[in-house]
Amino acid sequence: MSTAAAQYVPGPASADGVAARARGLTKAYGSGETTVLALDAVDVDIARGRFTAVMGPSGSGKSTLMHCLAGLDNVSAGQVWLGDTEITGLKDRELTRLRRDRIGFMFQSFNLIPTLNAAENITLPMDIAGKKPDEKWLDQVIDTLGLRDRLAHRPSQLSGGQQQRVACARALASRPELIFADEPTGNLDSRAGLEVLGFLRDAVDQLGQTVVMVTHDPGAAAHSDLVLFLGDGRIVDEMERPTAEAVLERMRLFAGTNPMASDQAPPPEPPEKG
Amino acid sequence: MLKATLRSFLAHKGRLLLSALAVILSVAFVAGSLIFSDTVSRTFDRLFASTAADVTVTPKETLDETIPSGQTLTLPASLADRLAKVDGVAAARPDVDVEGITVADKDRESVGPTTGAPTIGTAWNPTERSPVELTSGHAPKGDGQVMIDADTADDKDVRIGDRLTVIGQEGSFPVEVVGIVTFTTTNPGAALVFFDTPTAQTKLIGDPKGATSISLDAAEGVSDADLKRRVAAALDSGAYELRTADEQAESDVEQLGGFLDIIKYVMLGFAGVAVLVGVFLIVNTFSMLIAQRTRELGLLRALGADRRQVRRSVLTEALLLGLVGSTAGLAAGIGLAVGLIELMGLMGMNIRTTEMVIGWGTPVTAYVVGLGVTFVAAYLPARRAAGVSPMAALADAEIADIGRPLRLRAIVGSVVGAAGAAALVGCATASKTSSAASLLGLGVLLTLIATVIAGPLLVRPVIRVLGGAFPAVFGSIGRMSQRNALRNPRRTGATAAALMVGLALVGGMSVASASMTKSFDQQIDKTLGADFVVQNANFVPFPREITERIRDTEGVGLVVRLQFTTIAVRLPDGDRVKTTAAAYEPKLDEVANITYAQGDSAAALAAGHLAMDKDFAEDHGVRLGSTVPVEFQGDRRAELTVGALTDQESADGFGSQGGIYFGLATLEKYAPGGQDAAVYVNAASGTGADDLRAGLEKTLDPYPQVQVRDIADYKDLVHDQIAVLLYLVYALLGLAIIIAVLGVVNTLALSVVERTREIGLLRAIGLARRQLRRMIRLESVVIAVFGAVLGLALGLVWGVCTQQVLALQGMNALAIPWGTIVAVMIGSAVVGVVAALLPALRASRMNVLAAIAHE
Repeated sequence: MSTAAAQYVPGPASADGVAARARGLTKAYGSGETTVLALDAVDVDIARGRFTAVMGPSGSGKSTLMHCLAGLDNVSAGQVWLGDTEITGLKDRELTRLRRDRIGFMFQSFNLIPTLNAAENITLPMDIAGKKPDEKWLDQVIDTLGLRDRLAHRPSQLSGGQQQRVACARALASRPELIFADEPTGNLDSRAGLEVLGFLRDAVDQLGQTVVMVTHDPGAAAHSDLVLFLGDGRIVDEMERPTAEAVLERMRLFAGTNPMASDQAPPPEPPEKG
Repeated sequence: MLKATLRSFLAHKGRLLLSALAVILSVAFVAGSLIFSDTVSRTFDRLFASTAADVTVTPKETLDETIPSGQTLTLPASLADRLAKVDGVAAARPDVDVEGITVADKDRESVGPTTGAPTIGTAWNPTERSPVELTSGHAPKGDGQVMIDADTADDKDVRIGDRLTVIGQEGSFPVEVVGIVTFTTTNPGAALVFFDTPTAQTKLIGDPKGATSISLDAAEGVSDADLKRRVAAALDSGAYELRTADEQAESDVEQLGGFLDIIKYVMLGFAGVAVLVGVFLIVNTFSMLIAQRTRELGLLRALGADRRQVRRSVLTEALLLGLVGSTAGLAAGIGLAVGLIELMGLMGMNIRTTEMVIGWGTPVTAYVVGLGVTFVAAYLPARRAAGVSPMAALADAEIADIGRPLRLRAIVGSVVGAAGAAALVGCATASKTSSAASLLGLGVLLTLIATVIAGPLLVRPVIRVLGGAFPAVFGSIGRMSQRNALRNPRRTGATAAALMVGLALVGGMSVASASMTKSFDQQIDKTLGADFVVQNANFVPFPREITERIRDTEGVGLVVRLQFTTIAVRLPDGDRVKTTAAAYEPKLDEVANITYAQGDSAAALAAGHLAMDKDFAEDHGVRLGSTVPVEFQGDRRAELTVGALTDQESADGFGSQGGIYFGLATLEKYAPGGQDAAVYVNAASGTGADDLRAGLEKTLDPYPQVQVRDIADYKDLVHDQIAVLLYLVYALLGLAIIIAVLGVVNTLALSVVERTREIGLLRAIGLARRQLRRMIRLESVVIAVFGAVLGLALGLVWGVCTQQVLALQGMNALAIPWGTIVAVMIGSAVVGVVAALLPALRASRMNVLAAIAHE
C-alpha cells in the first residue's frame, strides 16, 4: 500500500465504461401534500474501475441513492441500469439474483452472519448461488485483507475492524461489477477505519474493482477518486481527486454553517504506509 | 409501573397469541370435561330420581360382578302382595326388567344399540313414574307382542306390524311390534322392549311366578326412609336389598358412572397433556420476550425500578395473559361440552344442551388452572428479568440469554436422571407387580423431568448429528439452519420438550401394547387348543339355546362350555379374595393346553374340587388337597378341595386373580342360572375346519350376538381390544402434537423477529425468498426431529420397563414396533415443515431495507 488517498492519480482502469447509471431517478415517500422527495430526478453515472464517494448531510438522500442503485429499493420514477441491465422494473427474484451475482455489499454494522465463521461469511453469496468460488482470487483477497489466520473465527471473536475486513472480503470474493459500501467506517475507530478505506482503495487500484461508498465523513471521502455531493435529493456538486480539507470546505459551503460532525473526521493527512 | 406493564402487554399481544392459545386449550379441556360430567350426572340423577319408586326391593347381590355371569337374580312376585299389607305401603308392584336380551330383525341383525349399551326387556306396567309413554299402537298382550322405544324404532327402521325375534335367556321366540313408546325424559342410550308381564316372567326370567324387583309406593305422610325401615322390619330377611328413590337413583347413576368416568378421565388426560405441553410454550415465550427486552428492562432498572418491581411487572403480564386465556378457555370449554353432548346424542344418549350445568366449581377450576399455568411458567423468566443489570441498557449486548452456562442444569439433570434410571432398573428387576408398577411410575416421572432439565445440554451433540448432513446437502443454507437451531440450546430444548413429552408417551405405550399383543398371541397359540370358539366380542354371556344349536350342528365333535362366576374365597392365611372364577365342562384338555404343577384337569374339574395358580396358592398358604371355603352369589357357601395347581403364565387380570376354576357341574350346584360366556368347539373326525366353520356360521346366523372364531380370528379380537387403548393414546398424541406445533411456530416466529437484521443482510447479499424459507424450514425440522429422537428414546426405555412389569403378569414377550417408530420420526419431520410455514412466510415477506435498518 504505497498510495496515500489524498494524492491519488486515476489509474489506467479508470475510464473504460459505466458500471451503473441512473436517469431521472426519483424517490418519493408519502403521498399528496405530505410527499417528501428523497431523490429528485437524479442523473448519475458511476464510472467502472473507480472509487466514488457519495456525500451529503443527513436526509440528503445519499443512502436512498445507494439503495436504489443497488436494487434494494424500488424507485418512484426514472431508470437505473447496472452495466447494460436495466434494473428498474425487475421482479424481486431477479433483483435478488442480481445482488447476489453482480453486487457486493458492506454495511455500517451487522455485516456478518453470527452463526458462520469468517471463511463461511466470505463465500456466502457464492454458496447461496451454488457456485464454486475462484480459489486463486479468493486467496488473493484473503491475503490482501490479511485475514488468513482469522478464517475459522466467528464474528463474535473478531474486532470491529476485523469484522469490516471480512465484510470487505465478502464483497470482493465474487468479483462483483460494483461494490456498495454504506458508511463502512461509521462504527470503527479512526485507525481501523483508515485500514478499511485503504483496502477499498486497493480493491480499486490493484484488483480493478468499482466501489461506491456512502459517507458523511470528509476524511473517508478523501480516499475516493470522485466525490458526489448530494443535497435535498439532488446532486449539487462533484469533486475529482478530493482532499479532506477541500471536501470539508465544500460541505461548509452548502450548509452555510457547521455541516456535520467534524469531530469524527480523521486527521487530514493519513499516515503514510511503507 | 402498572401502566408500563399494560403497555408492554398490549404491545406484545401478537407475540403472546400462541401462549394464550395454549392456555385456552388447557382450560377448555378442563372446563369442558367438568361441565360435561356435571351435566350428564345431573341429567341422569334427575331421570333416575324421577323414575325410581319410593322404595325398591331387589334380591341382594352379595358379590359385585366384574365379569357378567349371565345369572338373573329373581324374587317371588308374590312378595308384592305380602308387602302391600305392610303399614305405610300404598301400592306394591312386581317388576320384570332384564338387561342383555337380544332382539333381531328379519335380516337377523340386532336392533339394539351399536354402542355397547344394553337392550332391556321389561314388563309393561305403566305408572306416572315411567320414563316412557305409549305414543302409537297398543300395549302388548300375550307372548307374541312387544312394544319398542321410538328412538330405536327410528334408528333401525322398525315399524308397527314388523316381526322380530327376541333371544332371551330361556330361548328365542318370534314377536310382532304392536306399539311404540316415546321417552318423556332423557334417553340414556339403551334400547327398550316391552312385554306383558306373564311373557316377561316366562320367557325372560324363566319363572312364571318370579320378578326382578318390587316397587313400593309410600302412603301419604310416610317418607321414603320411613317406608324403607318399616318394610325392612316386615321382611326380616337378609336376602333382599331395599333402596329409597334417592338411593336407587344413586345406584343407577353409579352403574352408568363407569362409562361416564372414563369420558371424564380421558378428558382430564387431555387437559393434563395440554397443561404440561402448554407450560413449555409459555416459558419459552416469556424467556424470549425478556431476552428481546433486555435493554428496555435495563433502562427501567437504570431509571430506578427495583428488582421486585421488574419481576412483578413480568408476572403481572403473565397473569393478564392467564386471565384472558382462562376466560376464552372457559368459553371454549362450554363449546366443547356442547360438542360432547351432541356426540352422545349421536350415540343415542339424548341430553338436552339447554339443561347444561355449569357449577361454581367449573369457573373456579378454569381460572385456577389458567392462571396457575401461566404464573408457574412465567416465574423463572420473571426472575431472570429481575436479574437484568442496569448496565444492560447501555451495553450493545445482542441477547443476554445465550451464554449462560448450563452447569446447574447438568448437575440437577444428572442427579434426577440417575434417580429415575435407578427406579427403572428397580422396576425391571422387581418381583412383585405392585412394587414394580410404583417404581415404574416413579422412574417415568423422574426420567421425564431429567430429560426436560437436561434437554438443552443434549441439543448440541444431538443436533450436530441430526443436522450433520445439512451443510453437505443444502450448503450454506443448511449450515445456517443447523447453527440457528444450536444457537440457543435452552430455547431449542424447551421447544423440543413439548413434542418430546407427547412422543415419549406414545413410544412407551406402543411398545407396551405391541408387547401385550405379542404375548397374547403367544399365549393363545400355546393354550388354545380348540378348533373354534363361539362367543361375544364383549364377553357378554349368551343363552343356552345357542349352545344347544351348536351341539346339534353337523360336524361338531366336542363342545366345552365356559361360564364365569364371581366368588369370594377365604384362604388359610386369613385373606378373603373376591375374584372371577371360570367353570368348564369336562374334557377341557381337548380344547386347552394347561400346564399343571400338580394334579390334572380331571382332578381340577371333579365335583367339589377346584384348581388355582401355584404362585397364588403359595402366597396364601394353600396346598394341593387343602379345603377352601368358597362363597357364591346369593350367599351360597361351599367347601371345595384344591384338586390341581396350575403353572400358567398369566393368571391374573380383568378383575380376576388366582386363576381359579372348577367344573361347570360344581358351579351349577351352588349358583345355577348362569349363561355361557364362551363355547369351545372341535370338529368331529372326518370333518374339515372349513366345513365346520360354514356349518357353525349357518347355525349362528339367527343369533347376531355371537360369532365363531378360529385361533387367528381370536387373536384379531384381542388385538382390536388392545387397539382401543392405542387409539386413545394416539388421540392424546394428536393433541400434544398440535400444541407442540404451536410451540415450534411460536419459537420460530419470535426468532424471526429477533433475527430481523440478519435476515435483511442475507436478503441484501442475495438470499432468495425461497432459500430463506428453506432455511427456516430446515431449522424447524431439526428442532422437531430432535424432540422426536429424545421422546422416542425415552419412550422406548419406558416401554421396555413397562414390559418388565407386564412380564410379572405373564406377558413375557417384548415387541418393539419399529414401523410405528419410523413413522413417528417421519411424522415429526412433517410437523417441523408444517410449523415453519407461517414463520417462514413472514420472514420472506420482510422488507429488506426495513430489516437492515431494524434496531
